[in-house]
Amino acid sequence: MTRGKLKGAEIVVEELKNEGVEVAFGIPGGVLLDLYDVLYKDEAIRHILMRHEQCAAHAADGYARVSGRPGVCIATSGPGATNLVTGLANANMDSSPVVALTGQVPTAAIGSNAFQEASTFTITMPITKHNFLVTRTEDLPKVIHNAFYIANTGRKGVVLVDLPKDVLATKVDVDLHPKETFTGYKPKIKPNPVQIKKTVEVLANAERPLILAGGGVISANATEELRHLAEFLGAPVVTTLMGKGAIPENHPFSLGMAGMHGRIYANRAIGECDALLAVGTRFSDRLTGWQLDQFAPEATLIHVDIDAAEINKNLQVDIPLVGDAKLALQDIIKWLEKKKTTSPGSVWVQRIREMHSACEECIGDVRREGASISDMLIKEINGILDDDVIVTTEVGQCQMFAAHYYITKKPRTFISSGGLGAMGFGFPAAIGAKVAAPDRKVVDIAGDGSFLMTCHDLATCVENDIQVVVCIFDNRYLGMVRQWQELFFDKKYSHTGLGITPDFVKLAEAFGCYGERVEKPEDLKDALHNAFESGKPAVIDMIVGKEDKVLPMIPPGGGITRMIGAERCKPI
Amino acid sequence: MQAHIISLLVEDHPGVLTRMSGMFTMRGINITSLTVSPCEKKGLSRMTVAIDGSESELEKVRKQLSNLIEVVKIVDLKEDKAVIRDLCLMKVHVKDSNARSEVMQLAEAYRAKIANATLDSIIVELTEEPKTIDRFVDLMKHFGVKQLFRTGVTAIGMDTGGGLER
Ligand SMILES: Cc1ncc(C[n+]2csc(CCOP(=O)(O)OP(=O)(O)O)c2C)c(N)n1
Ligand SMILES: [Mg+2]
Repeated sequence: MTRGKLKGAEIVVEELKNEGVEVAFGIPGGVLLDLYDVLYKDEAIRHILMRHEQCAAHAADGYARVSGRPGVCIATSGPGATNLVTGLANANMDSSPVVALTGQVPTAAIGSNAFQEASTFTITMPITKHNFLVTRTEDLPKVIHNAFYIANTGRKGVVLVDLPKDVLATKVDVDLHPKETFTGYKPKIKPNPVQIKKTVEVLANAERPLILAGGGVISANATEELRHLAEFLGAPVVTTLMGKGAIPENHPFSLGMAGMHGRIYANRAIGECDALLAVGTRFSDRLTGWQLDQFAPEATLIHVDIDAAEINKNLQVDIPLVGDAKLALQDIIKWLEKKKTTSPGSVWVQRIREMHSACEECIGDVRREGASISDMLIKEINGILDDDVIVTTEVGQCQMFAAHYYITKKPRTFISSGGLGAMGFGFPAAIGAKVAAPDRKVVDIAGDGSFLMTCHDLATCVENDIQVVVCIFDNRYLGMVRQWQELFFDKKYSHTGLGITPDFVKLAEAFGCYGERVEKPEDLKDALHNAFESGKPAVIDMIVGKEDKVLPMIPPGGGITRMIGAERCKPI
Repeated sequence: MQAHIISLLVEDHPGVLTRMSGMFTMRGINITSLTVSPCEKKGLSRMTVAIDGSESELEKVRKQLSNLIEVVKIVDLKEDKAVIRDLCLMKVHVKDSNARSEVMQLAEAYRAKIANATLDSIIVELTEEPKTIDRFVDLMKHFGVKQLFRTGVTAIGMDTGGGLER
């Protein structure tokens, strides 16, 4: 389709619209004036002005994780682009589809150390799935189309497009909306039938099958298939942090998150199973622990992943199955149903049910003996938030308390920084989540340290009427690091005390938000109610035990079945 | 440990070499050589990467390479099914006429060319399989190698693999 001469910036916006983009999070700058001029005139794309580019990237990431569609962020050259870096690395590590547009100095000035020049292209190469430096306006349609295609297919990820000022300003005659893609980019989607048969053979004959669900299950929208397979097979489901929400955690076959801060029964099931079907996970060290011989030692390992490079990367497996998780699970179910009748009464199923109820009992018992205030708060939250609420998290103890105790019931409702573990993620991700799902409640489970890294974007929330609620675990510590110092470094709290943190209630009010302090877990319910009723973005400052610990945990160097601090868990 | 040669067809885009070498660095893969050159088709370049490593390391490299968007084709070339060459330019010290004639004889035995000669040195040029060059360089060390330049391996498969032909 030709439209006569168009400016580069107009081409970009036309192509964004054609890709279905409705929202972009960004901050303008000198080299982006042409682009922002088009955004001013064309209202098809809602632009949300952020207060820091890192937040723009996290917001785009949060938007993508909740909506399942690519999120878009925009930053100017130099400092704008370098500020984006953490956010992009984070999204890419967690395979979240994000397209970043950055301004660049004019092509003729590239390499001259011009004002606000940084080599965004080389800086972002290792933290993106792919990136482009556009040098000719004519190339824009193809580049923008491919940016979205690459970000949102195969193993999803971040694509950055660097746009020099002159490329945006030049007018050319071009055909819009090309279909052309790269010859070398053909993501493998369809699983190999031979591998499917092998998988089915193993699963049909397993006595103690277990399913390990990673973020890939959610990203492939394969949660229905996963649940069906679990029920048919009589297999419990454990998840990674990224996989939280792949199965409702109140389902009798769900054992919750496994790994370093996982539930003891989830880890135990990994130790006991004789067949492990891992779907859409990369076996990160936070899942496996460091003693790989303790990880599913008795099991035949089956690994389903869309990225062939993940097979045998961290863990040697018996049956690799490369392809889309949804298609693979559908094929497995189809063949399994021909081979096997369902076995809901087996000894293993009985055991799973026992483990599941032991977990439920512990989590349901808010005032359980030995529980810390932090424990109690998350347990309390379980009783307050309905199934549709989207929970994001910061990084640290707050995150692991949430991952461990929060009962996630739906996919795309637990949004956390998994691979990068970036403090400051949860709040801007909540902004993106709320923009993607304006009718749903969004709560950021935050740490005081993390929140201070990105709290300035409260201004964005107020300005754009984005009502998110931040619940701060206020322990006046970089708690997770402090916990390690307590347990493994003789309580030498080197630079983990936050000293005099700001009065978070006043901070909220200064931005025009609602603020409330909660001293006792039982007061949280009213506070959350007040926050939602206030109609404003809100901050709840929850005072927790300064030295609360997230337990049980796998100690450094340890294996998955040897957790410390597990005394509180009922032996089964 | 084994030497592996991977032949790649890549889109001829600016930055593709940085992307390749960055990937190797990022994944902690040690490469012995990397060459880039034009190929039979416009818009594509050929890269030849030599790595030392086990079969499983080779497998990892292949997979990471195929994840790069601009990589169009990957072939790992087996020694017995490929013509493999390296070009070596070397300045050898010759302390007297005896040394000079020995160097020249050895060069002839290896079918190396004499590219230049001065009173106290000879520049020899040898295009051969890397192992042969290794042996020749070792011999020359006996006389004193003042400067050594090697282009790194390039290789072509004897069957259809690696090219665009069908
Ligand atoms: C950007 C960043 N810097 C440093 C770290 C290392 N780190 C991991 S957890 C943590 C403490 C987080 O403190 P806070 O947000 O208060 O959460 P808490 O653990 O106290 O609940 C730190 C410093 C990190 N993950 N991210
Ligand atoms: Mg803290």
